[in-house]
Amino acid sequence: MKALVIGNKTSHLIDGLGFIQVLASELGESIEAYGLLYGNQVEEVKGFTKIFSMPDASPEAVANTVSKVIEKVTLEIVVGPAEKNGTEILSRVASVNNMPMITEVSGISKAGDTTYLERAIMGGRATALYGFKTPIAVTVPAKKFKVSDAEATPEFEELQVIDGVTKVVEVLPKEKGAVDLEAAEIIVGVGRGFKAKDDLAMAFELAELLSGEVGCSRPVAADFKWLGEDRWIGISGKKIRGKLYIAVGISGAPQHIMAASDTKVIVAVNKDKNAPIFTFSDYGVVADLYQFLPVFIKKLKEKKGL
Amino acid sequence: MDIAVLVKASLDVNMIKADSEGRILFDSIPLAISEYDRNAVAEAVRIKGELGGKVVAFSVLTWGPVDKRAREIENVMREALALGADEAHVVVDDTILPGDVSVTAEVLSNLIKKTGDFGLILAGEGSMDMMSAQLPVRIAYKLGYPVATFARKIEVINGAVKVTRDLEDVLQVVELPLPAVVSVTGEINQPRLPTLLQIRKSFAKPYKAYTISEIGMDAPEKLFPFDDIKLVTVSRKNMIIEGENLEEIAEKLIDKLIEEGVVRV
Repeated sequence: MKALVIGNKTSHLIDGLGFIQVLASELGESIEAYGLLYGNQVEEVKGFTKIFSMPDASPEAVANTVSKVIEKVTLEIVVGPAEKNGTEILSRVASVNNMPMITEVSGISKAGDTTYLERAIMGGRATALYGFKTPIAVTVPAKKFKVSDAEATPEFEELQVIDGVTKVVEVLPKEKGAVDLEAAEIIVGVGRGFKAKDDLAMAFELAELLSGEVGCSRPVAADFKWLGEDRWIGISGKKIRGKLYIAVGISGAPQHIMAASDTKVIVAVNKDKNAPIFTFSDYGVVADLYQFLPVFIKKLKEKKGL
Repeated sequence: MDIAVLVKASLDVNMIKADSEGRILFDSIPLAISEYDRNAVAEAVRIKGELGGKVVAFSVLTWGPVDKRAREIENVMREALALGADEAHVVVDDTILPGDVSVTAEVLSNLIKKTGDFGLILAGEGSMDMMSAQLPVRIAYKLGYPVATFARKIEVINGAVKVTRDLEDVLQVVELPLPAVVSVTGEINQPRLPTLLQIRKSFAKPYKAYTISEIGMDAPEKLFPFDDIKLVTVSRKNMIIEGENLEEIAEKLIDKLIEEGVVRV
């Protein structure tokens, strides 16, 4: 199959290639993969026949340029990162070329002769299956599909940007701490169960004891603004995939649960025994966090000999 | 300047029902206004406050059965009207159910064109139920308008719209000529709950439902219908740690986490 993987980071090309490899092996097909990097240094990524490069541009201009490549190379599959820019660019490419599109593919499965692409819907509570066909556009989440050995060494080609009417006026930094939740192995999540910003100190103490980070539900970041958005766990926030998530005083909105669902072990602490979060947890503690957290921290310190 | 706002009657993801074999009972799940579409309505109303004109809400029913859902989509649109939209137009038609994002875009773009001239078309960043986030872009291409997605700030200046896009790592400010389509995030504003008076008033505002033939269309072919939707069965252990007191519970929890290999002491 002929595929184009686009992105503005080398990791996007690797994530996309992983998807193409898994799909091709399901279908029993060989791969001819092209890459397109916009706005970044071109690096050699094994497994691509050719890597196109272009300067950073508006999503419209990237999509125009991608469509030109599709025309030239007669591609069947276009893959991009399941990020906001990737979603817009591929939605544009799909619209122009009248292609179907899978936003954020979550898996590939097979039943009988049909290969299905899967995606999470309804806040992660259901999976929709679409019989694979080409041409198609797909966005792929980070690190979901692993790349296996790839030999091909790419050629490089610089592309001329095909501008549109969208003008990028400026790019502003986002207020950001040093927190990278998506890479954290252990996260303590805080929610509306906390009554005051100062009380979050307990969660930070626990996170530090576990060598983890503190994350939060949407209201804590967006409504109360107690923590920055870099700590917000949600479909529109950060998606976490570490080994332990301890959700404290979080009831469990579907968007929050979905964004934490790739975590290995989930613990919930909530005083409401009917909170939805317990359904999505491995271990639950039904208790007031103000009473439980100090005891939990004390016991943990004892065990660690602190 | 008149503003169109796209509103989805979404399956309420907090009310998912399934039978004992895990088959989702779609017809029993109520429809509700899709979360970020409330932000889109609120933003449209804010811009109308600055520039005048009217706010018209549009929707297409994407879940059947029609006889039951016709009432529900009207309730959803009444909520949009209570939030400040001036009128609402929807397409309710059996032949396009369940929805397909390309068909929805086609039908909505025809409905919008038929209804009036709009300088700005706003929508939520994605729907609660299907979450594909494709519709605003697809509709823009059907209408031949520029589009920007994931806006956390919108300013209309001299025939153009300046949109601050909330990306993962940066804020990207783009400028598009009007008419344009813009999708908004949940952070762009905080919609208030409508007051009782606003809710009562919403029933006096125009609401019109059409079939696709009434807007001069034949049923478009679906580009990519789903083949199946399965309930996600959570394979979590769901073990509530119990004990005589909190000390005992804390110890048991720590032991479990050590056993799982996720905590080291």
